Amino acid sequence: MTDVFQYTPGDSVLHRMNPVTKIFLTFCICMAAFLTDHLSVLIFLLFLDLMLGVIAGIPRKAFSIFRGLAKISLFLFALQALFVRRGNPVFWIITDEGLRTAGTVVLRLLVVCLPFALILAVTQVSDIANSMVQVLHVPYAYAFTLALTIRFIPLFMEEMSGIMEAQAARGIEFDTKNILKKFGLLLPLCAPLLISSMRQTGATATAARVRGFSLRTADSGYKKYGFGLVDLCAAVLSIALIAGAAWIR
Amino acid sequence: MIRIQSLTFRYEDSKVDALHDINLTIPDGSFLGIIGPAGAGKTTIAQCISGIIPHAVRGDFYGSVVIDGLDSADTPLTDLSRLVGTVFQDVERQIIFPVVEDELLYGLENFGVPREKIEERMTFALTHTGITSLRHRTISSLSGGQRQKVAIASLIALQPKILILDEPTGELDPGSSRKIFALLQELNRTYGITVVVIEQKIMLLCEFAKRLAVMDQGRIIREGSVREVLGNISRLEEIGVNCPRVARFSSLLGEQIRQEISVCVNVEEAEREARRVMG
Repeated sequence: MTDVFQYTPGDSVLHRMNPVTKIFLTFCICMAAFLTDHLSVLIFLLFLDLMLGVIAGIPRKAFSIFRGLAKISLFLFALQALFVRRGNPVFWIITDEGLRTAGTVVLRLLVVCLPFALILAVTQVSDIANSMVQVLHVPYAYAFTLALTIRFIPLFMEEMSGIMEAQAARGIEFDTKNILKKFGLLLPLCAPLLISSMRQTGATATAARVRGFSLRTADSGYKKYGFGLVDLCAAVLSIALIAGAAWIR
Repeated sequence: MIRIQSLTFRYEDSKVDALHDINLTIPDGSFLGIIGPAGAGKTTIAQCISGIIPHAVRGDFYGSVVIDGLDSADTPLTDLSRLVGTVFQDVERQIIFPVVEDELLYGLENFGVPREKIEERMTFALTHTGITSLRHRTISSLSGGQRQKVAIASLIALQPKILILDEPTGELDPGSSRKIFALLQELNRTYGITVVVIEQKIMLLCEFAKRLAVMDQGRIIREGSVREVLGNISRLEEIGVNCPRVARFSSLLGEQIRQEISVCVNVEEAEREARRVMG
């Protein structure tokens, strides 16, 4: 699971696409998901997300992320279905309106989260930061903060799993099937993880400073991020998605 | 030149000095090894030379560290970083980007190295650290030793005037450790880069360093050429420094025959001395 947010090298169309175009495509998918309430459109967008994973040459990773999100979605679905009181009763306290709302919320969650995870799988964080600075003229400090945040996700997950393995080796039942019990075991780990994260962040900030972080300008980047035909096609698709979602709405 | 005068440093919330009244001069082109037991203040002195103390670490700082005429307390950390490259003890915390190439590019881009020279610098650093094949690899796929080489390469690419390395071979096997020290020696001899290494593997320092400084409880208790420092082996062992067996051998030999024996720093010298004594 720790490699979910890590870059997967490759030479697919998505790998070669300008990072800014990828961000634009992702935002357009998100906007389309929020513009429509049609389950069929949301299912289409979800299918599109998964197809992006296939096009990027990382179908296994895409489905792995999907499976991870689906587990959370099931929980959200149950909550929504139980708490929405509008509509006609279908079973026990569950209504048809409740089921529809739950389906919409869950599909929207999947549609929105998947492309962000896929972007990280096909784009190096340095490229995201540098292209944001070069093309969008975002101040480097903000782009760097974003890049570092993304960079730290797998590191923290690694650290968390390391702590869990160490605890499990000393008899703590992290492999328990009882979710509540597992949650109870995880809670005490938050403090040491937070402290070590703060230390890590401080040390990395110092490492950045001693390598000239404050001297960085928009022109400092070695790599140049141009736009090609593939970016144009992606931009047209992105706009078409928003227009389509707004029209069907 | 690095000139440390009356340097005392105490970390915030600490009741004891991490460094106490340190006086040390490191001339240009030196290759200095710093040894000492755990908690002696080795990492703290490295951070003082690199400017991390007092700029990024809080505490009470007295005295001065002057690097090439720049007082570290008055000079911004970025300006000091142009002169001093630092390899941290924990390289995991030093590596910023998840791909080797990006890690090397980071400093080069920030310091405004001309585009046409960037490729040349990267090739030089990758070749000399022996990690050319790792250029496009992700950091997470590398071993501890390879990560250490990446951290060193990212600084070599910047071509600083002074290199400070805090236990740079901590996660390396003996062969790779020697290669790193041979590289440092080459940088020192060929390019005149001043090298300051904190290292526990004293045999490597004996072979490659020109001078040694011994630290204990925040003080420099001995400083001189490798032979001068190893001349008082009993004092070093007293404070917990693991001295080379050849140096211990020459010391014992001298005690046994009650003669002055020159300090041996490698096996060949020890053999020569033994043959000479035995006639």
